[in-house]
Amino acid sequence: MNALKVLGGRGLREAWRTPDALLPTLLIPLFFLVVNVGQAARIFPTDTTPFLRGQSYAAFQLPATILLAASFGTAALYLVEEIENGYFDKIRATPVSRTSIALGRLIAEPIKIAIMTIVIVLIAIPFGVSVSSGIIGLILLVILAAGWATGYAAFLQFVALKTRSAAATNSAGLVFFPLLFLTPNFVPRDLLTEPMEIAATFNPVTYVMESMRSLILEPLNWANVAPGFLVVSVFVVAMLAINVQVVRSYD
Amino acid sequence: MAQGEVFGFLGPNGAGKSTTVRMLTTLTTISGGSAQVVGIDVASDPDGVRRKIGVALQEVGLDPRQSGREILILQARLFGLSHAEATARARELLELVELTDSADRRTKTYSGGMKRRLDLASALVHRPEVLFLDEPTTGLDPASRLVVWEEVRRINQLGVTVFLTTQYLEEADQLCSRLAIIDGGTIVREGTPASLKADLKAKRGDGIEPTLDDVFLDVTGRGRERGAGEVREVQ
Repeated sequence: MNALKVLGGRGLREAWRTPDALLPTLLIPLFFLVVNVGQAARIFPTDTTPFLRGQSYAAFQLPATILLAASFGTAALYLVEEIENGYFDKIRATPVSRTSIALGRLIAEPIKIAIMTIVIVLIAIPFGVSVSSGIIGLILLVILAAGWATGYAAFLQFVALKTRSAAATNSAGLVFFPLLFLTPNFVPRDLLTEPMEIAATFNPVTYVMESMRSLILEPLNWANVAPGFLVVSVFVVAMLAINVQVVRSYD
Repeated sequence: MAQGEVFGFLGPNGAGKSTTVRMLTTLTTISGGSAQVVGIDVASDPDGVRRKIGVALQEVGLDPRQSGREILILQARLFGLSHAEATARARELLELVELTDSADRRTKTYSGGMKRRLDLASALVHRPEVLFLDEPTTGLDPASRLVVWEEVRRINQLGVTVFLTTQYLEEADQLCSRLAIIDGGTIVREGTPASLKADLKAKRGDGIEPTLDDVFLDVTGRGRERGAGEVREVQ
């Protein structure tokens, strides 16, 4: 536990000291929010679009923004750098549990994204966005985003450990984009064309997005929120288990 | 290896020096046979071995986004020291390797020699019984190399046994009390630098004092042709 705390603290220091890596993870999703809302907001006016539930189209788009911010996982690139320069071996040569080594760097990720989610929500408020499920909903939104960020960072860390290549790890990060575009990103799932609806139904990101959307657009509705938490839980547990296994067998 | 000695491990490129070090330091799975370090089996009790050894590999393993002091404190905490103990130990080691003035700068601003000295210090945070150094002076300029030699001697005087791989035979001659030469995965010669040179002198019978280079070339199946003031290696 001590090692996990120490390695997690290092991850947070690293994030704080590399604002050049942190800022794009906030600015790029906000850019997409502005562009998407700018393109589609007039098609979906608040007063005549039932699925907006009285909010602006920015509220409908907000989950995609948060999910994009939570899917950069820049820490994995630092891991590749440490594998290449030998620092990872230095840590492996200490008597700390391999689980701590696998999870240490990931601890910073949910904290980073929790803060970033709050910042994104605060930025969105002046544009007519509110979290309809209240403070509990906001907390759940933050937890969901932080959970997704942990799973995705663990996925990228897994790629980094297996390939030991910055190029491969960078490319793996792009996997999120097709997944994002196969979600009900612009309209609810029941308004998608049939092939897109089928694709979105099989896409796990859809359920995380719909849970986030439920928290933003409607009063707390556990039936709509639960699927996203289930997907994130399974994703996080699976990715962490794979990471621990990879670090244990790392040569 | 005897306790308290500086043991040199020499061999041509690809002979298996670094692989041996990685196996003995638990970083690579042992592919065949078994190994013990300080009486502990490497395969069955890797954490036991890790507590007893310090490691400085060929690549200087440092985090460029942390300061020298932070790296030492973190390393000490991973070996179970409390924050206060780790801070005190870091201060002590920074003094030992003469990096106190640069301790709070991020390591990306350090020179190659400073990085190597910090790397050595980080291998000592938990007062290891054996220090593994894999080609510690490769890539350093001659002045930095002399500083590292001095550090190794100082560390050894503290009672730490040193296992050193190097491609520089002069380095082995300067530092090692005993050495082994590996070729093709097998130890082909072992002894003190003086005894190895004396053996070769007796074998050649020409009365010329051999160097450690001559010993190395002799045992790895290479020779030297001399003539017209030139020396060149031949197979």
